Amino acid sequence: MPPLGFVARDASGQWRRAAEGDPAALALIRERYPAAADLLRTPDRRQFMRLMAASLALSGLAGCDDDTRDEIVPPVNQAEGSAPGSVLTYASSALVDGFANGVLVKSRDGRPIKIEGNPGHPWSRGGTDVFGQASVLGLYDPFRSQSVQFDTRESDWAAFRAALAGPLGQWRASGGQGVAILLGPSTSPSLAAQLAALQRAWPQLRLYVHVPATRAALYEGTRQAFGRPLETHWRLSGARAIVSLDGDLLDPGPQQVGAAREWADARHAQAAADGLLEMWAAGPVPSLTLAKADHPLAASPAVVSAMAQWLLARADGRAGQALPPDARRWCEAAWRALDGARGSAAVMAGLHAAADVQAAVQRLNASLGNAGRTVLHTAPLLQQAPDLAALASDMAAGQVQALLMLGVNPVYDAPCDLDFAARLSRVKLKIHAGLYADETALNVDWHLPTTHPLECWGDAYALDGTACLVQPTIRPLYDGRSLPEIVSLLADAEPRNGLDLLRAHWLGPDATPAAEQRWKQALLSGVFEDGRSPLVTVQATAAPAAAPGPAAGGPTLVFRPDPTVWDGFGADNAWLQELPKPISKVVWENVVGIGPALAAREHLATGDVVRLEAGGRTIEGPVWVYGAQADGVVSVTLGYGRSVAGQLSAGLGYNAYALRRSDAPWDGGTVTLHRTGEHRTMASTQDHTTMEGHDFVRVQHLGAAPVGDGAYRPPTLYPDHQSDGRAWGMVIDLDTCIGCNACVTACQSENNIAVVGRDEVLRGREMHWLRVDIYQSTAAAQDAAPAEAGSLAPAHFMPVPCMHCEQAPCEVGCPVEATLHDHEGLNLMVYNRCIGTRACSGYCPYKVRRFNYADYSAGAAPSIVEQRNPDVSVRARGVMEKCTYCVQRIAEARAASDRDYTPIQDGGVRTACQDACPTRAITFGDLALPGSEVARAHEDPRRYALLGELNTRPRTTYLAARAPAAGDS
Amino acid sequence: MRQLFAPGADAVLRLALLTVSVGAILLLVVVGAVANSDYISGVGIAPRQPVPFSHKHHSGELGIDCRYCHTSVEVAATAGMPPTHTCMTCHSQIWTGAPMLAPVRDSLANDDPLHWTRVNHIPSYVYFNHSVHVTKGIGCSSCHGAMDHMQMTLRVQSFHMEFCLQCHRHPEEHVRTPDQVWNMDWGAPPDQAVRGPALVAKYHIRNAAQLTDCSICHR
Repeated sequence: MPPLGFVARDASGQWRRAAEGDPAALALIRERYPAAADLLRTPDRRQFMRLMAASLALSGLAGCDDDTRDEIVPPVNQAEGSAPGSVLTYASSALVDGFANGVLVKSRDGRPIKIEGNPGHPWSRGGTDVFGQASVLGLYDPFRSQSVQFDTRESDWAAFRAALAGPLGQWRASGGQGVAILLGPSTSPSLAAQLAALQRAWPQLRLYVHVPATRAALYEGTRQAFGRPLETHWRLSGARAIVSLDGDLLDPGPQQVGAAREWADARHAQAAADGLLEMWAAGPVPSLTLAKADHPLAASPAVVSAMAQWLLARADGRAGQALPPDARRWCEAAWRALDGARGSAAVMAGLHAAADVQAAVQRLNASLGNAGRTVLHTAPLLQQAPDLAALASDMAAGQVQALLMLGVNPVYDAPCDLDFAARLSRVKLKIHAGLYADETALNVDWHLPTTHPLECWGDAYALDGTACLVQPTIRPLYDGRSLPEIVSLLADAEPRNGLDLLRAHWLGPDATPAAEQRWKQALLSGVFEDGRSPLVTVQATAAPAAAPGPAAGGPTLVFRPDPTVWDGFGADNAWLQELPKPISKVVWENVVGIGPALAAREHLATGDVVRLEAGGRTIEGPVWVYGAQADGVVSVTLGYGRSVAGQLSAGLGYNAYALRRSDAPWDGGTVTLHRTGEHRTMASTQDHTTMEGHDFVRVQHLGAAPVGDGAYRPPTLYPDHQSDGRAWGMVIDLDTCIGCNACVTACQSENNIAVVGRDEVLRGREMHWLRVDIYQSTAAAQDAAPAEAGSLAPAHFMPVPCMHCEQAPCEVGCPVEATLHDHEGLNLMVYNRCIGTRACSGYCPYKVRRFNYADYSAGAAPSIVEQRNPDVSVRARGVMEKCTYCVQRIAEARAASDRDYTPIQDGGVRTACQDACPTRAITFGDLALPGSEVARAHEDPRRYALLGELNTRPRTTYLAARAPAAGDS
Repeated sequence: MRQLFAPGADAVLRLALLTVSVGAILLLVVVGAVANSDYISGVGIAPRQPVPFSHKHHSGELGIDCRYCHTSVEVAATAGMPPTHTCMTCHSQIWTGAPMLAPVRDSLANDDPLHWTRVNHIPSYVYFNHSVHVTKGIGCSSCHGAMDHMQMTLRVQSFHMEFCLQCHRHPEEHVRTPDQVWNMDWGAPPDQAVRGPALVAKYHIRNAAQLTDCSICHR
């Protein structure tokens, strides 16, 4: 059998997988190439005949439509705006680590079914992230905790209150002697006020906060630089240079949505002025920020720390200390850029950077005049209190007799050195409140179910200090209460509901008409206009002597939040589990990341299971060799290795918390790797759906001739596609696509896309209609593996939906015309005609068609069915499916337009991916409408067609990524 | 040696072959006929309902407008089924003690919705929009028949795809003036061949090729 052809490297030197083109890797790729894997196990003739006969006989049955007469159940009394099929939209917030992103919740027939961006929100400005998009599935999760539990047995709230009555009397009398509250990440100003009031009433009450993805280093850095802990955010309009030292500007987290939009807008603004907003980024672990940087550098934490001190020394007019050569060159170029853009540059460090890096970054910004202009500060927005380590030592000292754990799971995610579970068992009264009956819930006396943010009242700050509303969009599905309601059980003689508590906080004791008006405004906009946390002007304190970097001895262990399940809060969400991790594209588990040089030294390859040992503790996980990871760095991600039987997350991946120490949450010090000899095949989607061709990603260097297609259309023998009226089209800007996957999750949510599970992904059967490919450059790691610090080449992300080709090859392949064009240029997929030959998929050069092999949507829990979009068919087994350009949204707009005799305005139809994108990289609309946004994007000299040489005339086209002038790096 | 096959063997074989082929065709015809029959599609069958509601009485005899109960027919995809409250706007005043209406009164009293049996059904992969049809001159009776003559509500069309297509291919044969949309006795006037195309132009109805795009009904 000849090799399954693929292109080694194209002319521009870009590749999707490090081993591509390497003859030795052919076998591996063939093994991973799912179609080929299946061919190896061909059944014998008799078995083949039996299978064919059975499938022929049964295929007739499968085609039968269940036309049973169903019921119509109109309500007894129909509320205004609740007509069947009516859509209501609520302005609310999606929470990541307690921080808010403003969203609009689309509720259909009373059920929230989709999270959309809120364009009016000052921070998120219409963007969303994967966590927000997936939260709607979390609401309907049948594995959520549904009732109060006492000693892991079902109980109810009345029993809990009765049991609490005795201790509560004592606590009130003693002022909360021996009582401790452990709160999860929260920025809620009303909850903070409620807890402060409780602390005033019970002076002995102890409050602790546990944030697994801790921001302590950020606060400590500002404390060192400015004398007090501060929250940092950015306003990048007019920015001319960005320098990121282990930064997370574009990475998942509370900052992603707002910061990515700031970055994208600033990048467009500079491009409009014939410039380029260049980003210098250095970090130990591949990340979205590093991938999107124009000047990326792989650098171990120690080198990053030295680089921060070097830059700070230059700013102070001193000579910097010695640096590795690549780091030195990078720092000098970055310094030139910073020096040339004083007051309009930004230096940043992510939450996992060390405190000395944070302090240096803050001082740099102050010294360069960026603070107050591009880099802004507010008071810390997260609830501030002693951390889990303080609680653990107080528990050991016997000072805690009763412990309330609100929205935390410390038995799972406590640092390993605290011995938390053992200390917890010695606390007399243990109460846990959370969305899930998790590891902690199994080790307490009382577990209380909490409500999901989509079904309760609340408030939270966005990272820029905007006070945001969380409003319910449905009555609580289960018997849960919100955290403020649970605190009210302690604080108030008569417990109050969430709405009363929130109104009391924002309207004051006597609601004046003006306050009522502001409340109504907040309900409409999702923002409390008068609640913004004010900006703080900063003054740098005298710099102490720079701490010397730790001595390098063996590989360093670094911890990172997982890009899809974060610290573990998304671990039970099937959409987040099946979402390919942005760089490795691995699903359903976490990996141990190492660089190529370390892999070569240790004779490790991707998939080898290693045992990591640090401080006498060990974990085991499969290795993933990242081309862009600094040498001497071993990276692990949090959030996996859960152990609650029956939960979706149970048994997936390894638990990195088992190595994490409380004094070193992100940089775990020296680690030793031991080979176990085992090998594990991981489900990664990067090798599936391989295209053949060249120039997949084009790069527009500053000042170079346009790389776009321009007006050129290759000649064709086929008749031109006749478009009468509208011509839908999409343009995706590869320059501002940050690979965050928000579009993928939005598409899954909008289009009822099934989750298939790890085993099916291993067979190449993932169903995502939209995939995001990552391209890395040959100049990067593969040939010259980065040492402790090594220059990289930028990576590029390419979202690939259906191209809706005007001359679509798939249509030629279909024997039953199940895929064909309509008059508005959509390449349609008619599910009820499809007989599942899969010929179309074979004919599709972009590999965007997905075949439903096993009726993945059938058998879903009833509550999951409630989440589905009723405007989109749920596809059955044996049917091909693919991106439809959200045809249901087009059909809805078309019907409204026809009915009301009003043309569809530009922007009248927005696809789910377009709406979700935090950087507005996706433009969609009517190409035939003069002046439409998408028609203007078509005029961009960077526009090109993917695989345009095949003359498929795709309606989805791309804008080339921007890059500095060639040779200038 | 004796012949293995008697002289008549050929004839038997031919007869058998003929029987099999005719039988196969016959089977297809029968299956097709049964599948398209009213028995399977439910045309002409009035299912049992919790209350024997008569469209003939309410709409035909009393002249209550369709839109009094089916409120969203002009603005939404679904025509809308009346909530119990709509029934009780009148029946709290008249026929207040009628035993026939007990389920309606119980529904209101107990806040327990009525469970009507669906009469007109289309498969889940078909997306029909009432509002765009009634505002483009397609009357209720074109699909639902003369509702004002129905004692019990029954289905008059199979709603097979060919039924939808015969109108989507030739809308000019079915469009009415706006005032006739609610007329249950409408029949094509003698000059429909002239009026039809004029109405199609007036309503800006797409041409047949566009109206038969799959994406018009399927998503």
